[in-house]
Amino acid sequence: MSNQDELLRIEGIRKSFPGVVALDGVDFELRRGEVHVLLGENGAGKSTLIKMLSGAYRPDAGRVLVDGEETRIHGAQDSERLGIATIYQEFNLVPDLTVAENIFLGRQPRRYGMIDRKRMEAEAAGLLERVGVNVSPRARVRELGIARLQMVEIAKALSLNARVLIMDEPTAVLTSEEVEKLFVIVRKLREDGVGIVFITHHLDEIAALGDRVTVIRDGKSVGRVPANTPEDELVRLMVGRSIEQQYPREAVEAGGALLKVEGLTRDGVFHDVSFEVRAGEVVGIAGLVGAGRTEVARAVFGADPYDRGSVSVAGAGVRGNDVGAAMAAGIGLVPEDRKGQGLVLDASVKENLGLVTLRAATKGGLVDLKGQRAAAAKVAEQLGVRMTGLGQQVRTLSGGNQQKVVIGKWLLADTRVLILDEPTRGIDVGAKVEIYQLINELTAAGAAVLMISSDLPEVLGMSDRVLVMAQGRIAGELTAAEATQDSVMALAVSTNIGTNASTNNGTTAVEGSRGH
Amino acid sequence: MATDTLKSNAGASGATSGLRRVLLDNGALSALIVLVIAMSALSGDFLTTDNLLNVGVQAAVTAVLAFGVTFVIVSAGIDLSVGSVAALSATVLAWAATSEGIPVATAVVLAVVTGIACGLVNGFLISYGKLPPFIATLAMLSVGRGLSLVISQGSPIAFPDSVSHLGDTLGGWLPVPVLVMVAMGLVTAFILARTYLGRAMYAIGGNEEAARLSGLRVKRQKLAIYALSGLFAAAAGIVLASRLSSAQPQAAQGYELDAIAAVVIGGASLAGGTGKASGTLIGALILAVLRNGLNLLSVSAFWQQVVIGVVIALAVLLDSARRKSGASVTSAGAAGGGDRRRQVLTYGLAAVVAVAVVGATSLLHGGSSAATTQKVGLSLSTLNNPFFVQIRAGAQAEAEKLGVDLTVTDAQNDASQQANQLQNFTSSGLGAIIVNPVDSDATGPAARAVNKSGIPLVAVDRSVNNADTATLVASDNTAGGRQAAKALAEKLGGNGTIVVLQGQAGTSASRERGAGFAEGLKAYPGIKVVAKQPADWDRTKGLDVMTNLLQANPGISGVFAENDEMALGAIKALGAKAGRSVQVIGFDGTPDGLKAVADGSLYASVAQQPKELGRIAVENALRVAEGKGVEKAVMVPVKVVTKENVAAFGG
Repeated sequence: MSNQDELLRIEGIRKSFPGVVALDGVDFELRRGEVHVLLGENGAGKSTLIKMLSGAYRPDAGRVLVDGEETRIHGAQDSERLGIATIYQEFNLVPDLTVAENIFLGRQPRRYGMIDRKRMEAEAAGLLERVGVNVSPRARVRELGIARLQMVEIAKALSLNARVLIMDEPTAVLTSEEVEKLFVIVRKLREDGVGIVFITHHLDEIAALGDRVTVIRDGKSVGRVPANTPEDELVRLMVGRSIEQQYPREAVEAGGALLKVEGLTRDGVFHDVSFEVRAGEVVGIAGLVGAGRTEVARAVFGADPYDRGSVSVAGAGVRGNDVGAAMAAGIGLVPEDRKGQGLVLDASVKENLGLVTLRAATKGGLVDLKGQRAAAAKVAEQLGVRMTGLGQQVRTLSGGNQQKVVIGKWLLADTRVLILDEPTRGIDVGAKVEIYQLINELTAAGAAVLMISSDLPEVLGMSDRVLVMAQGRIAGELTAAEATQDSVMALAVSTNIGTNASTNNGTTAVEGSRGH
Repeated sequence: MATDTLKSNAGASGATSGLRRVLLDNGALSALIVLVIAMSALSGDFLTTDNLLNVGVQAAVTAVLAFGVTFVIVSAGIDLSVGSVAALSATVLAWAATSEGIPVATAVVLAVVTGIACGLVNGFLISYGKLPPFIATLAMLSVGRGLSLVISQGSPIAFPDSVSHLGDTLGGWLPVPVLVMVAMGLVTAFILARTYLGRAMYAIGGNEEAARLSGLRVKRQKLAIYALSGLFAAAAGIVLASRLSSAQPQAAQGYELDAIAAVVIGGASLAGGTGKASGTLIGALILAVLRNGLNLLSVSAFWQQVVIGVVIALAVLLDSARRKSGASVTSAGAAGGGDRRRQVLTYGLAAVVAVAVVGATSLLHGGSSAATTQKVGLSLSTLNNPFFVQIRAGAQAEAEKLGVDLTVTDAQNDASQQANQLQNFTSSGLGAIIVNPVDSDATGPAARAVNKSGIPLVAVDRSVNNADTATLVASDNTAGGRQAAKALAEKLGGNGTIVVLQGQAGTSASRERGAGFAEGLKAYPGIKVVAKQPADWDRTKGLDVMTNLLQANPGISGVFAENDEMALGAIKALGAKAGRSVQVIGFDGTPDGLKAVADGSLYASVAQQPKELGRIAVENALRVAEGKGVEKAVMVPVKVVTKENVAAFGG
């Protein structure tokens, strides 16, 4: 059965953690010069599988064959020796070191015991050129945008002479421009004979890039199909059922203006931002990463200060830079960084759901724990949070269920204006649809929803109106009927809007406009 | 329908994992159980009601401090100031009630307010000044300690009797400190589990940004958290001082580390978000059981330290083993870069301010002593002991009389600090230097450096090894030890069992007094020494060690303590027995010691004349500075002071 082109073969891998079986018989194979997509919902076991290959975990049972020979991978050194490199969602880069130092971290070329900077930087420059990114090897990693960080990671993998490159959701944080650039690089690597394991939740990327697809569900590999398999079929394999509609927006009759933002400005970050969101309406904000969308959302919510302008809810002004005032006015924020800003990961589902209502549930310094628990149970049920119980640590939930908890805490607080920042980033198809349904329920109940998203189809599919931001300004507004990929992108990359041409957001403008 | 792969396999593992689970779920508890079993097996005196209550008493102060620190650590902070704040609160209480005559109830309120105020300052610096908790509370550690020294002028102050009952027992057997510990523990558990503040601590510690974005007023909560820690520190300080009937400005030094260790041993993470009152209590008990058990087993002082360190590491290892088996480790995302830059700025600012203050004070100092008078430096090993305070008093009085400009420094029993001080002396143009070595050997190198500079060196109380001293002014410790042996043996009629409380292991005074005592006892074969344990010259430790030794040796008839402070601690432990069925003999003849001799609880003290030591040292220093000859050694006589002749020793 040994195949000349076969790089890697996994047979019947099993892995369990206390109380959980993460993998239960997974088969997988990778050939030279192929992009093999790993598809599965969050929590299906993809991450556990790649951690086996990078040496972070050891399998309980099953075989791993590299070049037809059975191997054990006991640590990062083993996987490095076998030519397996992994690029995780959370980058393994040291922010205060330079690009070159990061690429050669721990393997810096040395001369007389000292680091040979010249050689290191020259070699790094060569690798960066091969990846096709225009970054100085001497730049500090902290100063780079997220897309470039990823290119540095790829360059690092190349420096290891990787034959197997594992990429865990590399496109999740990229704009569509950047995704295109990434694809060019990946295709080039494929031509060079590198085998690539590619994890993504974007089905359209599979046909565009992939060769074969292995679908994992509930810790088992449930199918290996060619990449040109229809999306419906892929979804059916992945979820175990078919999904009727990807963007089930049910528009309702919009009421009066609920959230009104006028002339909001923070010097150097965003300028003269004005818009309103009416009751029952979903307003999407599209734009490139770095266009100032998140900054505006945080300012509206009072998490960050602004210099000029005003925010009002239902006609009443809201004090700036005061989360308490914004919450009192009925504004809620689901932040873009779910784990870093939305959740207390080590606390329970119950604790997290009760966070926003903690003060309201306190009388004379004492918390009404029973009432909190009952409320949490009710909302968890309503949202369909899949958990072992209200006491389960939020850290151990899948991404989609974590996001439901973040949204749930605002539902408990009777939020009238909910700001969603990248609500479905890193969430699988099934859970996405559930969150869209939730948005429908909210607007049907008369709430206003402001949704920031870099996932263009999502913005187009779920918004009643679309605002496009570029370089800290609102570049334009489109109705649901007018909004298309092209019309939105045209606004998003537009420069010199308004009169103030000197406003310059540096790196993002360069990254965004390239190749368009 | 299934998205998650969470499958419980509890059934498969079966019942055998039941016990293992309970123990793994609470690593600290299993460590405590193992420790108790081990101690019971090794010492028959360990597992008795009395001894277990002793363990409780000895754990009480650490536990109450640790409860306060639990709040801070759960919210991902750290509080290094609790030991100092405890000492400051107790000092404020004693000073207000004893020295200022303020009603005791008001004084207690004042002490508690002091603790809360210190906590609020910490909280304010951290919340609004954006100082890292480590730095803010480290600053408070120093300020609190300094203020308690300022208020008490360096000497212990008697504690009001009504408050001292907190250190007594209820119904003759139930120690009040244990009750206080249990009560504070319940309060802690209640605050953590049920109150808004408690729930906010977990949220802030788990993810401060998420808590803020969920509407928690993080800054205000932090103020309250550190204030609570200050309040608990004040309570601990009052309990500590009432056990000794005395507020000591240097009390509870280093206790903050014990408290933090107790919290972490109890299963809390220094990263915040986890921690329980029960865990903290277990952590404090582990530390107390260890110290108690090692005393009972008469383990040498050196090995006690090794064992304690190893057990702390093991207890936390056990707990992290539990964590690993519980959940996989996920690395958190990189923190924001702005914080780090701000921290660097803060550190920079702190450094600049420190340099500025140091520069300013040295300038001021230099300005005041620009006259042509002879200058002399005196480096004392410590001022945490009335004996050395007396040396200073004698030296200062003589300096004033002779018109000498005398600079006194306190090495806080730290040889390296003393070395620094001697170094500073040589570079400030003194006519002579008087040194009271922290350790005869350890001070040698620094003393040799002084020799090289050509400044004459006078040693007082302890000799300096391997260096030239113009003269040594000292009491004869060995002779004193012999006299103590003779006095005690004769009082006991030549028969009996006794224990010895040793000074800090490795110090020359302890060696000489011990050697003299042993030599003196040779003449009395009927006297048997059943235990020798170090109590580090310290009254609190004297009390604890004596309590432990009494467990192992209930029938003793005599105690020799190598200084008066430890003797006074031992008398506390002996209670009514002191002076009746058990005779205690001390060393030094400090004012407190002489008072105890007068009232009969202390049979005798081998009196040195510390004021004389200080006086003669300065006198000789001036002579050598002026180039006059002195004797190589001046032995100031020691004298056994008993009730009969105590009136003659006014100090």
